[in-house]
Amino acid sequence: MSALRYDWSTLLIAGTLALLALVPFSGDGYHLSLGIGILNYLVLATAWALFSGTTGYISLATSAFFGIGAYAAAALGEVLPWPVVLLVAALVGAAVAFIVGLSTLRLSGIYFVIFSFGLAELIRQLVTWYEVNVAGSVGRYVFLDISHTAIFWQLFALAVAVFVIGFLIYRSRLGLALRVIGEDEVVAQHCGINTARAKLMLFVLSAVFMTLTGTIMAPRWTYIDPAIAFNPLISFQVVIMALLGGAGLLYGPLLGVVPLVLLFDLIGAHFPNYFSILLGLIFIVIVYGIPKGIAGLLPLEQPPAAMLAAKADPGVLDIGYANAPKADSHPLLAVSGLSRAFGGLRAVDDLSFAVDRGAIVGLIGPNGSGKTSALNLISGLLKPDRGDVRFDGAPISGLRSDHIVKSGIARTFQLVRVIDDLSCAQNILAAIAWRAQPQWGAAAWREALVWLDRVGLKEQADLPAAKLTYIDRKRLELARALALQPKLLLLDEWLAGLNPTELQSGIALIASLRRDGVTIVMVEHVMDAIRSLCDRCVVMNAGRKIADGTTTEALASPEVIRAYLGEDDA
Amino acid sequence: MVLIDILISGLILGGMYALVAMGLTLQYGVARILNLAYGEVLIASAFATYVLYTGFAISPLLGLLIVLPLAFAANWLIYRVMLTPLVKRARNRVTLEIDSILATFGLLFVLQGIAFVVFGGQYYSYSYLSVPLHLGGSIVSVNRLLALGFAAALGIALYLALTRTRSGTAIRAVAVDPTSAQLVAINVRRVAGFAFALGGAMCAAGGVLTSMFLTFNAAMGVVFTMKALIVVIMGGVGNLLGALLAGLLLGLIETFVARLVDPGLTLAANFALFLAVLLIRPQGLLGRRAS
Repeated sequence: MSALRYDWSTLLIAGTLALLALVPFSGDGYHLSLGIGILNYLVLATAWALFSGTTGYISLATSAFFGIGAYAAAALGEVLPWPVVLLVAALVGAAVAFIVGLSTLRLSGIYFVIFSFGLAELIRQLVTWYEVNVAGSVGRYVFLDISHTAIFWQLFALAVAVFVIGFLIYRSRLGLALRVIGEDEVVAQHCGINTARAKLMLFVLSAVFMTLTGTIMAPRWTYIDPAIAFNPLISFQVVIMALLGGAGLLYGPLLGVVPLVLLFDLIGAHFPNYFSILLGLIFIVIVYGIPKGIAGLLPLEQPPAAMLAAKADPGVLDIGYANAPKADSHPLLAVSGLSRAFGGLRAVDDLSFAVDRGAIVGLIGPNGSGKTSALNLISGLLKPDRGDVRFDGAPISGLRSDHIVKSGIARTFQLVRVIDDLSCAQNILAAIAWRAQPQWGAAAWREALVWLDRVGLKEQADLPAAKLTYIDRKRLELARALALQPKLLLLDEWLAGLNPTELQSGIALIASLRRDGVTIVMVEHVMDAIRSLCDRCVVMNAGRKIADGTTTEALASPEVIRAYLGEDDA
Repeated sequence: MVLIDILISGLILGGMYALVAMGLTLQYGVARILNLAYGEVLIASAFATYVLYTGFAISPLLGLLIVLPLAFAANWLIYRVMLTPLVKRARNRVTLEIDSILATFGLLFVLQGIAFVVFGGQYYSYSYLSVPLHLGGSIVSVNRLLALGFAAALGIALYLALTRTRSGTAIRAVAVDPTSAQLVAINVRRVAGFAFALGGAMCAAGGVLTSMFLTFNAAMGVVFTMKALIVVIMGGVGNLLGALLAGLLLGLIETFVARLVDPGLTLAANFALFLAVLLIRPQGLLGRRAS
């Protein structure tokens, strides 16, 4: 079965490129320069969306990389052969993106936006300073023997490259990872995704395309200075075009670039003085009117071929957990002296406990006693101030969440976290694709359906997670955790808020997990569940452990009764 | 002597940055709008002051009385008309931040375009009270000292209003937690609109005062937005004292670099400082760590 035959988006891209390829043969200089303009923004906007559209990290630094590329052409064009110039430009762009990304991408999105906003200005100042003080003049003449037709074909090749690479990324597990990062970075980390590395890779890749565009475009001007090469309008127009088209999809920017380049050409020709006002107004209209872009209005997205294959042939799949409990002397999880304070509040204070293989341990205590913080410390969401967590004998405290996930700990969240925009199957797929023993393609889809079946969600596989009921969202989150094939599962009030029938089926589900050999630590308030499921309980109050023993013992301890019911009832 | 020179100029510049950043921290910290057109408001008020002074002989300090209410009203309108729809459709804080960045990015170009059409690209300045004054062996002009004095007065007034009055407490409550603020019967959207307008008025004050001693042109807004953002984040979002401290620090470092290293490298120095703070204390100098 040919996947391409049904794929309208591929047709759209190929068709546009084919039409553009005819432009040089018209022999008209104006058409050629319009074609160059379209290709220029097509590469820039598509490269921009490759990173910003998927991850949601809005970059306003396009002109920084474009300018670096243009300056590489101006400075080296007459000294080195052209292919070498392109190579050097790409390397410089990649290096700058790497350094900037490494230092800013681990911060929250907003800082990244601000930094990228100023990056072009910063580089422009540095280049100006260098040119004035070292090179001796602000501007440079670019005398390169490269015709406009040659520029056109170079840009054309670059556009083809950006679409091919984009296509490969969007259908790879990296593409799925980026979408998860864009929706919820914590979930991404808890699927085993190294989010910092994924973001950095895409940022560098998109910067290389932008830099190369600048290099190729430079010979169009005979004179460049920092104000031309690092023009902030470029960043701005790229963002407008990508957003108008739809930044979340490979073909989205294309739908914005073509009409807007033509429109800007018109405005520039007829109302040059009002260019920036009209530009701003168009932009505002787009942000309000079509936040998802033109692509969001077109039903072009096709179900992945791998999914269709999996559905056509579900096969028989024996999924298990990578971890049959083996007799071993040390406990599976050993927490000792774990502490974490928020300002003056000691959320977790010198907490120690151990969990044996195959056990279900309840972590209980009054509200605010530090149970969730303890889970967060174990799963890597929080870093401990002091103390030690050993999992399967190896220290894991202070590691990143994705490392911890890969070592065999999965979790659910107190406030359910699923990726609303993805289908239920895709939610599971993210975990399957990035766990310690990853799967991708039809095999992964097959497995995803099995996990959904395991929690009773098979019918909803194609439904976006946003459409699920509360209990089904919880089920989906549990299925995602199970798909990571954990040795240890951390459940944070997974049974809270269920009605009595749902509670019974929930308890049965957890009991069946134990039979499969999964070790479980559950934070819970539902006493029925604790009594029927937990072998042991660790009771916390005000950050400290106040009891630890078999469930009956722990619940009967006077200190526990005092913590829950107050002094008088003890 | 150079050191005292740098100290005085740096403090004056830093005082302006702090005032401008206080306005931005109100807009961003309370109304949750990251306003990229912020600097354009500053430049607009600088132009307004210029027109009032050269055209109508109204002194800049008197001009404050005209420009500030105007800026307040204009910013309130911007919030009501342009930003409220975004607040209503935002799913969470992050989507609002991104939407507001994009919308105000568009506004930036509109305002800048209007300024270019009206005033062109050249630099403007006017001479008001540029009388030299000897101070500890170095010379300062009176208009600079006056600007610093007014900035300090406005900053203190804002601080007292926020910490000592009922509406000020409501503003601070919204800054900390908009959801909980609703539970104690605070009209969050109205408070946010008020804070946005108040922030815009502070920014306009910064514009009026800086125009007394700095030359300006239609393209300079972006630079002020950048610096205000840097100061706000360095100080800790929503933290007025942090903004003051960071503003002064930025002014001093900038003057230091401009005088002793190279005036062309001030922005680079700003960014180095910004990045250093972000990497070492992402919550800002005086900000609290989010749990």
